[in-house]
Amino acid sequence: MSCWYNNAAPDGDIAVSTRIRLARNINGFPFPAKMSDEQRREVNAKIKNAVSGNIKTDLKYIDMRDVPENERYSMVERHIASREFVSNCENKAILLSEDETVSIMIGEEDHIRIQVILPGLQLEKAYAIAADIDNKLCAALDIAFDPTLGFLTECPTNLGTGLRASVMLHLPVIESRGEMASFTESVNKIGYTVRGMYGEGSNAAGSLYQISNQITLGISEEDAINNLKIIADRIIKKERESEKSLNKIKTEDLCMRALGTLKYARMLSSAELITLISRVKLGLNTGAIKGDINPIKILIEGQPYMLMKTYGNMTDGERDINRAQAVRNALSNVRED
Amino acid sequence: MLCEKCKKNIATTHIRSIVNGKKTEMHLCAECAAKEGISGINDAGLGGMLASMFGDVLSLDPAASLVKCDCCGSTFHDISKTGKAGCPQCYKTFYNEFLPYLKRVHGSIRHVGKTLHAPAAEQEPQNDIMKLKNELAELVREEKFEQAAEVRDKIKELEAGA
Ligand SMILES: [Zn+2]
Ligand SMILES: [Zn+2]
Repeated sequence: MSCWYNNAAPDGDIAVSTRIRLARNINGFPFPAKMSDEQRREVNAKIKNAVSGNIKTDLKYIDMRDVPENERYSMVERHIASREFVSNCENKAILLSEDETVSIMIGEEDHIRIQVILPGLQLEKAYAIAADIDNKLCAALDIAFDPTLGFLTECPTNLGTGLRASVMLHLPVIESRGEMASFTESVNKIGYTVRGMYGEGSNAAGSLYQISNQITLGISEEDAINNLKIIADRIIKKERESEKSLNKIKTEDLCMRALGTLKYARMLSSAELITLISRVKLGLNTGAIKGDINPIKILIEGQPYMLMKTYGNMTDGERDINRAQAVRNALSNVRED
Repeated sequence: MLCEKCKKNIATTHIRSIVNGKKTEMHLCAECAAKEGISGINDAGLGGMLASMFGDVLSLDPAASLVKCDCCGSTFHDISKTGKAGCPQCYKTFYNEFLPYLKRVHGSIRHVGKTLHAPAAEQEPQNDIMKLKNELAELVREEKFEQAAEVRDKIKELEAGA
């Protein structure tokens, strides 16, 4: 199956993905948390009709109740739906494009959540795709909008543009130098947040960080996106420059050991996979590792529900065996010489 | 928004605080907020904590807590308990109550992005009137009173129409 992470990623050495999310609601109905089943059905039908009648794309309407549990949670692992959305699927639906770059969640926190995810750093393009869908939906539906407060959303933190723009970056060198805290602090000051994409707390597994705008009221879509692009460009440049100053043989050793383990391990936990994949990605950037490897694809396809969606339900131990097998298969053509 | 700690539940507790001059922000679910001992700050528990965030508003006008949204039936007390509006209409019903909170979260209370239902028909004559008024001022300055009178009549006409 084709998914966003299979496509070419601009600035893909550091930038993993770009996400744009627009929150929209329909006038005259409570927000999903307070809707009756009947209202939910009515709103779902309205949105479904608006999309099928106005948007000439390959968006497919999927009733979430028809999606098996493993497939549902694997959507979260592919970053195309939120965990909240898939954990209770009563009266929820998703409109999904063939390559899964466009998803419209119906009945999440807001009536409509338009999401576009693209590989690498592609903020303008992702926003253009989302805005085009939004324009068509706004023309076809009675969207809740107030001239002063902007688009009206369930959570007041999304009022205004309803826009959340995020980029996921791989920053192992900046992180190893202990510079993440000061970077995070300076980004916070201008209304953006930095969080670890995986793992809990301040400890970002795999050195993967997500930067997003926090403020949606009093800032235009263009400014929110441009600022994020400036922040991302700057930190990407810094990570690239920091790579050059790494000790060559030490880095090569670290990265090749990671590749070796991934190629030959018989059991791999999720935590081990993300740590080793991060090193392989660094190895590809620095030239320590050569070959046609898509580390992000290996990482995502090694997530628990991604594995269970393909191989069926498993215990943790069985999953570690299957994960190691899947990673070995993905790396079978890579030679380390 | 998901809880920052567990990344599983919806964050219903939003805490902004200033510690040693440093602004910090936390978004937690009820469970994690309880684990963090946040409920311990306030005797009234989590509800009280959130209410205190919106609280300066509620205490100003106790009558506000009796008003219900026409569309969804929420009171502002309900909204301050969950940190979420019940329906789009809530923002109109409780506009004044929301403002201090929005100011705190966004630092602004005025949308400047994409607009909807742009009243194009209303806006254009406004712009025309503005243009004519500028023209009028210019003509008066140049002491071209005859032409100025014509422009003034045009403005009157447009204003009467709008
Ligand atoms: Zn939590
Ligand atoms: Zn309401």
